[in-house]
Amino acid sequence: MEKPTAMESIQAEMADVVKMPRISTSLAHVDGIIQLLSEAKEKIAATLDPHTASLTMTKLQNPAKVAFDTIIGDDFKKATAAHKKLGKALDKHFPPKPLPSEHDAMANHQDQINRAIAMHFLREGQFNVASTFIDEAQEMKARNSRYSASSVSDSYSLDSSEAMDEDQPEEASPTMTATSAGQHTSEMEGLSSLQSQELQNKFSEMYNILQELRARNLLPAIEWARVNAAELEARGSNLEFELIKYQYIWLFKGPAVNGLPDDENNGQAAALRYARNNFGRFQARHLRELDRLAGAMAYAPNIPDSPYRQDFAIENAFSTVATSFTREFCSLLGLSAESPLYIAATAGTLALPQLVKYIAKTRSRGTEWTSANELPFETPLPRRMMYHSIFVCPVLKGQTTETNPPVILPCGHVLAQETLHNLLKGQRFKCPYCPSEAQMKDTRLIIL
Amino acid sequence: MADYEETKINQEAHLLLDQPLLRLPYELLRKNLRNARFQADKDATFVKNLLKETATGSLNAKTSPEDVVKNLDVMITRMRGLKRKLSACADEEDRLYRHLEARVAHLSELSTMHTVEDVKYEAWSRKRLDRLMVDYLLRHGYNASATALAEDRGIQELVDIDTFVAMSNIRNSLLNGSFTEALAWCTDNKKALREMKSKLEFMLRCQQFIEMMRTDSPARMNEAIAHAKRFIIPFNDTYQSEVSQVAALLAYRPDTTMEPYASWYSPKRWALLADIFTEAHNQLLGLPTFPLLHIALSSGLSALKTPACHSTHGPSSSQPFPNFTGISANLCPICSTELNELARGIPYAQHSRSYVDSDLLMLPNGRVYGKARLQEYASKAGLGEDQVKDLVTSEIFPTDKLRRVYIT
Repeated sequence: MEKPTAMESIQAEMADVVKMPRISTSLAHVDGIIQLLSEAKEKIAATLDPHTASLTMTKLQNPAKVAFDTIIGDDFKKATAAHKKLGKALDKHFPPKPLPSEHDAMANHQDQINRAIAMHFLREGQFNVASTFIDEAQEMKARNSRYSASSVSDSYSLDSSEAMDEDQPEEASPTMTATSAGQHTSEMEGLSSLQSQELQNKFSEMYNILQELRARNLLPAIEWARVNAAELEARGSNLEFELIKYQYIWLFKGPAVNGLPDDENNGQAAALRYARNNFGRFQARHLRELDRLAGAMAYAPNIPDSPYRQDFAIENAFSTVATSFTREFCSLLGLSAESPLYIAATAGTLALPQLVKYIAKTRSRGTEWTSANELPFETPLPRRMMYHSIFVCPVLKGQTTETNPPVILPCGHVLAQETLHNLLKGQRFKCPYCPSEAQMKDTRLIIL
Repeated sequence: MADYEETKINQEAHLLLDQPLLRLPYELLRKNLRNARFQADKDATFVKNLLKETATGSLNAKTSPEDVVKNLDVMITRMRGLKRKLSACADEEDRLYRHLEARVAHLSELSTMHTVEDVKYEAWSRKRLDRLMVDYLLRHGYNASATALAEDRGIQELVDIDTFVAMSNIRNSLLNGSFTEALAWCTDNKKALREMKSKLEFMLRCQQFIEMMRTDSPARMNEAIAHAKRFIIPFNDTYQSEVSQVAALLAYRPDTTMEPYASWYSPKRWALLADIFTEAHNQLLGLPTFPLLHIALSSGLSALKTPACHSTHGPSSSQPFPNFTGISANLCPICSTELNELARGIPYAQHSRSYVDSDLLMLPNGRVYGKARLQEYASKAGLGEDQVKDLVTSEIFPTDKLRRVYIT
């Protein structure tokens, strides 16, 4: 049995806490007092006799006091006890850890973040949320431009603690207004480009096609691939061929598998007709594969035992093809297939512990981690979150950059350009990794 | 799996950003109970005193039975009022407990996942992004969008819409030139604000004074002086320089160009007040100073960013392409138009090891690709085995012109 995680421990405590008395227990006691008062009132009002009145009132004192004491001394105490138990559990299992709070690298980029969020909604197919957001953001910008200074609220609240101590808000505001004015133009471009509907229409097209793919209808995707055939081909994408191939197999499998109407447009004859009409364009490039697909016809009654069973096992084909469709669709728009916002936020939480550790260590020195070119600490991410080649010069122990690019030596070894300059003796240098010597003119920059 | 260290979920460290998720409802629970107790104390004292008074008066025959009945009516009304207030507090407490339970359950789901490759992790992480976005939207006052997103995803119990909507109402009232709501909030949170040494109330009182001065009528001037004596002078020890500046405003007309007095009269001060209020509010409830999404993004963009992401010549590895050696088949999120500009000003990740495709080959134009990528691209382009095609520039080269590249 594994040790429970901190959160599981809190969950266990929580189960007890929710059963403990709450503020609601006091309501019955308030009712009790109301009843005491009402009864006394009725009794006195019935006779309006001074003696009854004073007697009733005297008798009322004690029970009323007891009831009030119960509410304040008892009910609230118990409700407090529940909160305390919860607080203790939180402090023990989820103790507060400081988050980066001194410098907000994102402070002046509200419009760009807004734009990324709006695009995220669109690519997630949340079209209603997206349009609510785009409208609201535009509206608020119009409103904000009326209070010129308020659009800088973010950059202000960032360091407002210092500003408050020094109390120089009036000095700070002119510069801030200037930045906000400069930002305004890019802001307008940012969201209005989304309002143009074009992107929204694109994503809505993508969503419709994906939905059809999920419902095992390849045709809208094939149609899209045909329209964009030239661009797809330039990217080296086989999407159209893959789709057409699956459509052939899908038809080949017939009504029992594909659930389409059992007519002349379904089954092996239809598949053959489909092949004749559509495979032609791909003959040159995919000849071998086409041969196999056609050859399978001969084994039609018993594909699962034939050499072609691999080609015809397309259980996972729809989800695979949906993934490649999304990738191609997005990349034709210049977008990555997965939401960058999702990837960045996930990578952010994975890297955050390193950042927090670093900030804790350097707090006293007041180093700003966001000001350098390179992070001063490593943030390991899973491989699927690595999108570019990384070359770390084995001599310099640093990454190559545009100003210090990788250089290949005649022997095939790669070094950073700066390293090479350091190794240079006159016009010649020796490779640090093999015995070969070379001249500067024999090296060349490479692009990884 | 070689990748294990990088994909393992460190349960505790993974929830750094989720602290406010539990802390906020907990703080609100306590605040709510304090409020309930305050109301009960107030009404209990009133009723107990009146009860005693009435009993004594009745005993001394100073209070007639009719008046006793009247007093009892007053007490009953008061108690009914208390019941209403306590019911509201009890409902709020129930709501907060419901939220806490839902949130703890949501965070506990992570306990069942050990690596980020777990199929359940993506759904969980997407939900987290939705939460972070709602937080971001609320903090910027996009309340309708936040509500729409929370409803669309069914995460109402995992986000704090009510708290932030209440906050943005006060904020907007300040931006519209009204301090009533903000002053009422100060009164509700007097003790906590004093403990935090918040400047908010002082600033609001100054603004009240300035608005009185602005009318420029002698009667209002007197009122302003009375206001200053009562509400501003007591702050003299804490904010001496401001108090004297504000006092000196009596000698300057609202259209003065003389600093610092012109700034005090400036309508921009409302925006400043709104920001001071926001800050006090967030500090009071233990909320981070800026949206959690900002933290996640600045950390995430840096971790993902490479020197190649903003390079001018388009790195060879930027071409999304299925491959066999590990570098992702997808377009880099930093290179994608959504985030590219946003990531421009931030540092790139540090790496101490090279990370490249295996069997690197250099084309005559200096571009380097993994052998497998080149082969697959060539076959997709319908080339023979003796030719390859550059993934970025689409140039075609014979294979015998390729050079091996050794990365040490």
